[in-house]
Amino acid sequence: MHKTLRGFLLLCAVSLALSVIGPGGLLPAFAWDDDDCVGCHGDPSIAEEGGAYLYVDPARFEQTSHADVGCTSCHDSVTDDHPEDDQRPSRAGCGECHDDVEAEYAESSHSESADCTDCHNPHNVRPLVGVSAVEVNRTCMECHGEEDVVASHGVWLPQTTLHIRSMPCIACHTASEEFTVTFYVESVTHGMSLDPTASPATHDQLMAMANEKEGVASILDGDGDERISIEELRTFYQKAKARDMRLWGMMTPEQVTHDFTTLDNRWDCSFCHARGPETLQESFVALPGPHGGYERIPVESNAVLGALYGSPDFYMIGATRSKVLTLLGALIVLGGLAVPVFHGTVRLLTMRYRRREK
Amino acid sequence: MEEHQEKIYLYPTPLRIWHWLHAFSIITLLVTGAELRFPEYVQLLGNYKASVRVHNAAGIVVGVSFVVWFIYYAFMKRNLFSIYIPSKEDIRHGMVRQALFYGFQYFRGEPNPHQVTLDNKFNALQKTAYMGVMLLLVPLVVVTGVLLMNVAFLRDMVLAVGGLNFLIGLHWLLACAFLAFLVVHLYLSTLGHTPWAHFIPIWTGWEEVEGHPKEDV
Ligand code: HEC
Ligand code: HEC
Ligand code: HEC
Ligand code: HEC
Ligand code: HEC
Ligand code: HEC
Repeated sequence: MHKTLRGFLLLCAVSLALSVIGPGGLLPAFAWDDDDCVGCHGDPSIAEEGGAYLYVDPARFEQTSHADVGCTSCHDSVTDDHPEDDQRPSRAGCGECHDDVEAEYAESSHSESADCTDCHNPHNVRPLVGVSAVEVNRTCMECHGEEDVVASHGVWLPQTTLHIRSMPCIACHTASEEFTVTFYVESVTHGMSLDPTASPATHDQLMAMANEKEGVASILDGDGDERISIEELRTFYQKAKARDMRLWGMMTPEQVTHDFTTLDNRWDCSFCHARGPETLQESFVALPGPHGGYERIPVESNAVLGALYGSPDFYMIGATRSKVLTLLGALIVLGGLAVPVFHGTVRLLTMRYRRREK
Repeated sequence: MEEHQEKIYLYPTPLRIWHWLHAFSIITLLVTGAELRFPEYVQLLGNYKASVRVHNAAGIVVGVSFVVWFIYYAFMKRNLFSIYIPSKEDIRHGMVRQALFYGFQYFRGEPNPHQVTLDNKFNALQKTAYMGVMLLLVPLVVVTGVLLMNVAFLRDMVLAVGGLNFLIGLHWLLACAFLAFLVVHLYLSTLGHTPWAHFIPIWTGWEEVEGHPKEDV
């Protein structure tokens, strides 16, 4: 607080000095630094000066690739007198730097319905893997309410609620051809209903389970080798159960396109379900960082194919069946077949004998 | 068929309807189930969504018909237990006797030691097997199936019984047991005094009583 105040006073003093000396004076022209902007806009109290929209969360912003770009690249008309100049600083169009995305999006009919900033906060942008599937769905659901989506998709999509909760909308509404399974830690609230409500566990909740020094990843990756083994998963499940946490698996796309088309093959269940176990070999656990972004750690590749321990609560029919159980089932069937085969053989061999007897 | 033969009305019409409804649904379930688990190999309906729908519908038929069957025998006829639970006598002698029959005497052309009567339809081995199927396999497969049809809604129950993967595994193994049972069941049905002898009563209701001295072969 004091620091901010001091920064603010310093800034005022500097501004004052600059305005006294004026352009072309002794000192080089004043140049805004991101820290200057954050000094005011990164302090939640700025909301009192015009609204909550003036606040830019500095910790989140710092982590984005937009921090490398810098405030003034996008707000290049900020004058030296800001904010006393009564001018609204400019905002760069996203297309100035993302012209490919903009062109692609402009062609989709969705561009008439939503702008880039309806789905992205320019001060908190993250790459696809840095965003949880639940967050993506929350974004879409701001305009497409969950109930409406379930109702409209339920006409043709079996187990609609389960589907909607098990993948981001963009699994079906972009052109990605590659998918993985991503597990998120959820904290579960059991109410009166048999369908418990779950919300993504926060960084703080997870740190309560984690080894303070090694960070949040240590709740799963006990040995710190940046891979999660089935053994480590099992240990986690035991710890998590007591805290009403669980891993929730979602099928996530590896690419995102902005055409928001619905490819014909998304109608066809077999696009996901009927390709056999080769489809979804890779799986990850994604954990939230302290400032929102997610980071993912690969899981031993057979996590989703394991009989029981890999992923007790994730199963994609037609795609993640366990080999062990398949074999066990085959043995049972063979056991049944043995009866007619053996008995039938003896029966055939002794047929003549039975005829004579009569 | 000869005139003098003794016949009894073994399977009343509702029971036969129920049997064939079950048989038809279970075969449907096995076929669509195979397609659901092995879509890259089994493509009988050819359309995954159709398989899901048909599988669900057939599952509901079996579930409802099981409940009706159970209520009918357990509460209305009140003879569920005498029909399906092996008696002490069955356990002590019947099973061995019946096993010996299938394993040896049958090959020598000797008659079945079990005499079918209205009160005693099944031999000791049949009782045990049908008890296993009707009081264990069917209820378990129906319960796991109901849970699997409502994974999102019944999530807490799914987790309570051990999770989705466990349920799927159990459902699958039960289905395999059904297939094994079906094979054995069909085969043993051909062991009557003619290969069709056991199929006719479950279709027409009338059983020619076996072990009759003037029986033809
Ligand atoms: C001395 C504190 C302070 C500093 C430093 C500051 N701002 Fe502001 N800024 C404000 C205040 C207060 C407002 C609200 C002005 C208003 O509503 O008239 C504002 C408004 C804005 C707006 C527009 C709000 C709107 O209504 O459209 C933008 C964009 C903005 N600032 C960007 C920046 C950038 C970029 C920097 C750094 C180059 C920066 N500001 C530095 C205090 C500051
Ligand atoms: C990549 C471009 C980009 C960068 C970098 C960026 N902004 Fe913005 N900023 C925008 C855009 C675009 C908007 C308008 C958002 C909208 O319309 O919802 C905006 C909005 C704002 C607003 C609110 C005013 C409004 O119209 O909603 C403030 C305040 C602001 N930015 C401050 C900052 C500060 C401070 C920084 C640096 C810490 C910064 N911005 C960095 C693009 C950027
Ligand atoms: C001044 C240039 C510039 C502008 C304007 C700009 N961006 Fe970016 N943006 C970048 C750069 C550089 C990156 C990092 C490299 C990349 O992914 O292209 C980036 C990355 C992103 C990412 C991915 C995050 C990541 O870390 O990979 C998103 C999402 C994004 N921008 C959205 C937007 C949106 C929405 C707007 C408009 C509000 C916008 N950008 C405006 C320069 C810009
Ligand atoms: C309907 C919602 C929506 C709109 C509108 C939208 N995006 Fe996105 N965009 C997403 C989602 C969802 C992602 C994936 C998650 C993420 O990275 O935020 C994404 C990802 C991105 C990425 C990162 C791509 C990558 O491969 O990591 C960029 C860059 C981007 N968007 C830019 C834009 C720009 C520029 C616009 C406007 C022309 C725009 N987006 C409009 C939903 C949208
Ligand atoms: C700012 C509001 C808004 C957001 C956020 C938004 N949409 Fe939309 N979307 C619309 C509107 C409005 C329409 C057109 C009316 C309709 O079909 O509901 C639409 C239509 C669609 C359609 C149908 C397009 C067609 O051609 O028929 C799809 C698919 C879609 N949105 C997917 C998404 C996805 C996926 C997301 C999240 C990544 C998303 N939307 C986020 C407003 C939004
Ligand atoms: C399993 C794949 C799948 C998922 C997941 C999915 N959709 Fe769709 N969605 C489709 C298909 C296929 C259509 C085309 C149906 C049609 O044209 O009637 C569609 C149609 C739509 C439409 C336009 C038609 C309508 O009925 O409103 C919107 C809007 C939409 N989806 C939004 C979403 C949103 C938002 C989500 C995430 C919450 C989502 N979808 C998740 C496959 C999916």
